[in-house]
Amino acid sequence: MTTIRIPGVTKTVAATFGIALVLAVAGATGRSAVADEPTFERDIRPILRAHCLDCHGGVEELQGGLDLRQVRLMQKGGESGTAIVPGDSHSSLIMERIRSKEMPPGEIKVTDKELETLTAWINGGAKTARPEPETIPPGLGITPEERAFWSLQPIRRSPEPAVRADQESRVRSAIDTFLLAQMPEGLSFAEDADRHTLILRAHFDLTGLPPSAELLQQWLNDPSEDWYMRLVDSLLASPNYGERWGRHWLDVAGYADSDGYTVNDAERPWAWKYRDYVIRAFNADKPFDRFITEQLAGDELAGPQQGDLTPEQIELLTATGYLRMSADGTGSGEDNSTARNQVIGDTIKIVSTSLLGLSVGCAQCHDHRYDPIPQTDYYAMRAVFAPAMDWQVWQFPSQRLVSLSTGADEQQAAEVAAEAGKIGEERAVKQAEYMAQALDKELMKYEEPLRTSLREAYQTEAARRTPEQTALLDKNPSVNISPGVLYQYLPEAAEDLKKYDARIAEVNAKRPPEEFLAVLTEPAGHLPETPLFYRGDFMQPKANVQPAALTAACAEDARVEIAVDDPTLPTSGRRLAFAKWLTGRDNPLVARVIVNRIWLHHFGRGIVPTPADFGRLGAAPTHPELLDWLADEFMQNGWSVKHLHRLILSSTAWRQSSKRVAMHDSIDPDNRFYSRQAINRLDAELVRDRLLSVSGRLNAQQFGTPAPVKEDDAGQIVIDDAETRRSLYVKVRRSQPVAMLQAFDAPVMEVNCERRPVSTVATQSLMMMNSGTILHHSAMLAERCRAEAAAIPEDRLATLPALPAPPNEAWQYGYGSYNESTKLIDSFTPLGHFTGAQWQASATLPDPQLGYVLLRGDGGHPDSPGRAVIRRWVAPKSGTLTITGKLQHGSPNGDGVRARVVSSRAAIAGNGLLGEWISFNNAVDSPVTATNVEPGDTIDFIVDCQANHTSDSFLWPVTIEFASADGQAQSFAAVSGFHGPSEPRGLMAGQVVRAWQLAYCREPDAQELVSAMGFLADQIGYIHAHRDQLPEGVSDTRQAMTDLCQALLTSNEFLYVK
Amino acid sequence: MGIGAVALSWMMQQEAARAIPPVIKQKPVTDLKPRQPQTQPQARAMISMFQHGGPSHMDLTDPKPELTKFDGTDYTGDVAFSFVNQASKKLLGSPFKFRKHGQCGTEISELLPHTAGIVDDMCLIRSMHTGANGHEVSIRYFHGGIPGVLGRPHLASWLLYALGSETQDLPAYMVLTDPGGHPVDGVNNWSNGFMPPLFQGTVLRPKEPRILNLAAPSHLKGELQKQNLAFLQKLNSRHLEQSGGDSDLEARIASYELAARMQTAATDALDISQETKATQTMYGLDNDTTREYGTRCLISRRLVERGVRFVQLFLAGQPWDNHGSIRTALPDVCRRTDQPAAALVKDLKQRGMLDSTIVHWGGEIGRLPVTQVMGDPAAAGRDHNGQGFSIWMAGGGVKPGMVYGATDEFGHKAVENVVTPNDYQATLMSLFGLNHSDVIYHHNGQPQVITANRPAKVVTDILKSSPAAT
Repeated sequence: MTTIRIPGVTKTVAATFGIALVLAVAGATGRSAVADEPTFERDIRPILRAHCLDCHGGVEELQGGLDLRQVRLMQKGGESGTAIVPGDSHSSLIMERIRSKEMPPGEIKVTDKELETLTAWINGGAKTARPEPETIPPGLGITPEERAFWSLQPIRRSPEPAVRADQESRVRSAIDTFLLAQMPEGLSFAEDADRHTLILRAHFDLTGLPPSAELLQQWLNDPSEDWYMRLVDSLLASPNYGERWGRHWLDVAGYADSDGYTVNDAERPWAWKYRDYVIRAFNADKPFDRFITEQLAGDELAGPQQGDLTPEQIELLTATGYLRMSADGTGSGEDNSTARNQVIGDTIKIVSTSLLGLSVGCAQCHDHRYDPIPQTDYYAMRAVFAPAMDWQVWQFPSQRLVSLSTGADEQQAAEVAAEAGKIGEERAVKQAEYMAQALDKELMKYEEPLRTSLREAYQTEAARRTPEQTALLDKNPSVNISPGVLYQYLPEAAEDLKKYDARIAEVNAKRPPEEFLAVLTEPAGHLPETPLFYRGDFMQPKANVQPAALTAACAEDARVEIAVDDPTLPTSGRRLAFAKWLTGRDNPLVARVIVNRIWLHHFGRGIVPTPADFGRLGAAPTHPELLDWLADEFMQNGWSVKHLHRLILSSTAWRQSSKRVAMHDSIDPDNRFYSRQAINRLDAELVRDRLLSVSGRLNAQQFGTPAPVKEDDAGQIVIDDAETRRSLYVKVRRSQPVAMLQAFDAPVMEVNCERRPVSTVATQSLMMMNSGTILHHSAMLAERCRAEAAAIPEDRLATLPALPAPPNEAWQYGYGSYNESTKLIDSFTPLGHFTGAQWQASATLPDPQLGYVLLRGDGGHPDSPGRAVIRRWVAPKSGTLTITGKLQHGSPNGDGVRARVVSSRAAIAGNGLLGEWISFNNAVDSPVTATNVEPGDTIDFIVDCQANHTSDSFLWPVTIEFASADGQAQSFAAVSGFHGPSEPRGLMAGQVVRAWQLAYCREPDAQELVSAMGFLADQIGYIHAHRDQLPEGVSDTRQAMTDLCQALLTSNEFLYVK
Repeated sequence: MGIGAVALSWMMQQEAARAIPPVIKQKPVTDLKPRQPQTQPQARAMISMFQHGGPSHMDLTDPKPELTKFDGTDYTGDVAFSFVNQASKKLLGSPFKFRKHGQCGTEISELLPHTAGIVDDMCLIRSMHTGANGHEVSIRYFHGGIPGVLGRPHLASWLLYALGSETQDLPAYMVLTDPGGHPVDGVNNWSNGFMPPLFQGTVLRPKEPRILNLAAPSHLKGELQKQNLAFLQKLNSRHLEQSGGDSDLEARIASYELAARMQTAATDALDISQETKATQTMYGLDNDTTREYGTRCLISRRLVERGVRFVQLFLAGQPWDNHGSIRTALPDVCRRTDQPAAALVKDLKQRGMLDSTIVHWGGEIGRLPVTQVMGDPAAAGRDHNGQGFSIWMAGGGVKPGMVYGATDEFGHKAVENVVTPNDYQATLMSLFGLNHSDVIYHHNGQPQVITANRPAKVVTDILKSSPAAT
């Protein structure tokens, strides 16, 4: 057993330490007070730790016999002699080795600045801050200087600082006092944001969704004093709150619906249960210490299962899904020691970055080079998880599932399993036969006596083979048949064995449907040892390490040790004890890390800008007292996250305007002092959620199995258009990131995501301009605006730019009759209703008066005699035309249809009928030779039912080739020229207003409305001149409106929250 | 506290927090603006023609008279096989002839007559070593720095991260895939790993649309989309004005302008009809066998010409994985790629671009000197070999007309001047003016470098000039 001891310090040293601590803390914020004479402890040891101590002091086998942990030892030196000569850096061996780049080996060398510090220190006499003890225990230990690092200090609540009198009126919460106190002269908070901004900001911040128009109005008009905090409370009570804030936690927990690690990236079918647990926990404001404990040790809290699981047990077990988030290839083709240890390593990484804010993982191979985390600490933490995650007695993902089936379900399942087991046994027998066959067959290639020798060698257990036998097999490697390569020898055997597999699968399919939880549990009584791995290599285990807390995060000489086994629990109790230490009042890290994360998501930046690294490589807190105050407040209020939200949202810091002010910018260009609120881009999921929300398609359904993703024709991963639940319910397949979400920085989970970048790149813009997804969302919004157009008063309409009149459409659609005697069209009455695909008499078909009268671009259906259908073409100018077409009728019933082409111009000359054809269950060409027309003349394509009004559907695609008198040729095809009605121009302004309301949650102002109408006018004008660009079945106004919606949905006002 | 003091104290805190070298890592990089290298760069762009599967070096680039001499006899060394059932220890001499070429006299196989024509411009490395026989293991080693490990950024991502891009009108890192499908290991071949998607390879697809979302849908083409964008920018500038001029908002406005420019620039870059007949013929566009690969090689040059930093070409699957029928299958894939690959080097040279563009040709492993038995002796092939194999590089500061390193007498193991993928990465970074261990990206709070701190050396012997002191 290894005990981990903290290096002893004498009383004198401890007293000095008190002073050193004060100095070091001052150093963290200013450093100016300290005299700049370098000392070993403060200036030199960190350099040596980073570059040298791995080999010269950190491990017991000293390289070259040299130990650099103390000045005393450096002077003593190693095999090459003394390492330093105080006062003379030129004669110091260590400097020679570093300068010649001989040391340290490898590519990372001591920097010039570090070299300078070393030189100055040696030349200055190689001073220490205090006398060095005569003996030190093995390892690097933790020095007082390292212990003095800010994040390892106890959390201390400072009193709220005094605020300048002129700023007192701006103080709404303690947060404001800390921020104001640190502001340089001339700086203050910005003015408060207006009510509209606040309502939107609070919505996106707390729920991630825009307010409905009604709700927005309600809050805008709320006359009460306390409207704002009531707004905050109502949003915190919304079920959408947990979706928004749960997603933040899922990032650091590394949530994914697949196992990763291998190329096939197997699905992880029950991960979503943990996702739902997280959402519910946030909604319920589960105390965060409890939340942490459940995730780390829910199984230990759940107690033994007696009969069916209780709802409480289910919740607790679900929580341990947190420890099942790391990628795990051991169940999907990569079961080897490396893969197993990787799962353990990644899990520790997730725990340490999400809760401790330290890169503990660095200490897996050696003592941490920058932070006081000895390698033994890493393995002490690993020991906490060892009973549940033992790489030598591994539980595969499939073994870590807990069934939610009841006893009755299980009995039935057991019967099925027994049946499958039987087939499995048969398969094993068969496989052995095949192996023997394969061997026989392979051996046939060899002559006796070699054949027999080979057989004997093969059949001898590897360990018992004679050297001759081993050599023989080595020389003839193809005899080394194993089940894995059986298919290479007997392809048919592999096929046959697959049949067994198929039968097993078939039997297994009879299991009753069963839900599972992916959990972390400990096999009963399993208490494996945890050896330290030399250089992190599991092949080189060293002394065993006992479970314990991080040394440096415990008070000196009071390291929290964790019992190997807690006799009061059926489990080892290690994780429960670890959670207790994490959530204890004395833990310096956890509360700071959590409040920092909450702050980060409210302001776009953490008080500690590196949320997962509170160590020396991370950034120092910009407002350390505020961080501590918040952490303390958080713990004092039962670790309530909602309490923190209220505190933060009630502050002036959060409520202030984001508008840039030149005066503030000149002092605080990067807003480090919170002299304005930040403008934040919507997170990836929120962009899509908002798109769905504005077109009214967002499906509010919560929880459940993830929405599938698929690859589109162009190879992009997309979400099906019909899937309209919030984006956090979309499947997170590690190897199939959804293109749109990934483009806007949604994490692709490798381990976990400590913080999302916010990128701004042209590929995002291309996606917003051209992707099918955005075009679809735009069309959906345009559709909603048409249906919900706002009412605009006439007088206001009159002030807006006029839209181009509906174009003179070449084609019109109506019904009527043909007069046999005059050879003229007797009547043409336009059809009144357009379904989006066809013209008919009214919304009902058959119409009470006109029956089945209907027309499409390529054909239609006449009703009884006298109700023939007519597609009318109107000549735009004078010229000559010819017509091609094919009349088709496809039913053996009735008597077919009759088609005629009738010209109004030819009628003037006494013969309007240009052609007449009958089709009855066949196809007939319908050519018309050259005929002249003048502007306004009509060519009617009229079809009637003949005598019998039965089965009269017809197809008659026709094309008019028109040569105008001024020499231009133009083609008018009935199919591509088919169109619906033009929308009344008066309604367009109302649609624009509605688009603004939906997309921006506000009315357009006068200037914007004028500008938008001008845009529509331009678009419609352009479309009229380029009819061929209009997609089939879309009107000019609809296309223009869709384009307007696209501009709104891709604009900054939509993508950013101010 | 005055303003200056505040700033100073902030800077000092930052300094104190980072007692490590002044390296490229200070700020999260969220754009591709061009950035200064650490030292004087030789190269500004790279085109990598990756040859998946393991080109058979003893049949292509690494003549082995001893192997020919002992053809058919038993090899006495240890061999690690992937296909045990077809394993044998019978040495297989190359059925192909080698001849000296160029002024430098480098020996190249008859299978690569066009490559033989550029030996005076290239540096042939015959001592590559991954130590692993698996395809994916070695591919990931080349791309990401650690054998077999997924989720690491590609070498190109590191270059972009460190250097940004010279063009803002085109994606800076482009991948040209084969119409036959993805290479082995699929999209992992151009992964940005733990870096933001900004540094991911943009796939130039082998069919239209070559770049996703690049072209406007037909109903928005031309003037209509221009009107849309003009209206969008009107909305955005009004919003910007009301925000008081926020830089994030400005950046997004600019990104729409870039996107519009990219539409034009990319369309132009892909239009190879602008090339002369002579150029097209040089790349083999007049020939069915070479047209496809030739087209992609030619597009690669047009991209680099327009400021693209890194282009990588892939073949579908792994055509160089000649387990069997090496006598026929190997010549096939050579015929497809030899002429276009050589044309790329010649073309870059005649345009004066070769000095600043690194061209790389090579796979992830090589092949064994012993026979893989496939029944019929005519169908014999070679199994995987990560112990020794060849790649070549040209241009961008690489010494021309040289051979570096050697395998043993049978071509099994690299024995002289061994080069690992980590050395390859370190060397390439140095050609770009970067010190590979000083280009650091913080992931989950931990400093990461391309070589993952594994042993890596800049192979200075193959550089025209030694890297400037850092």
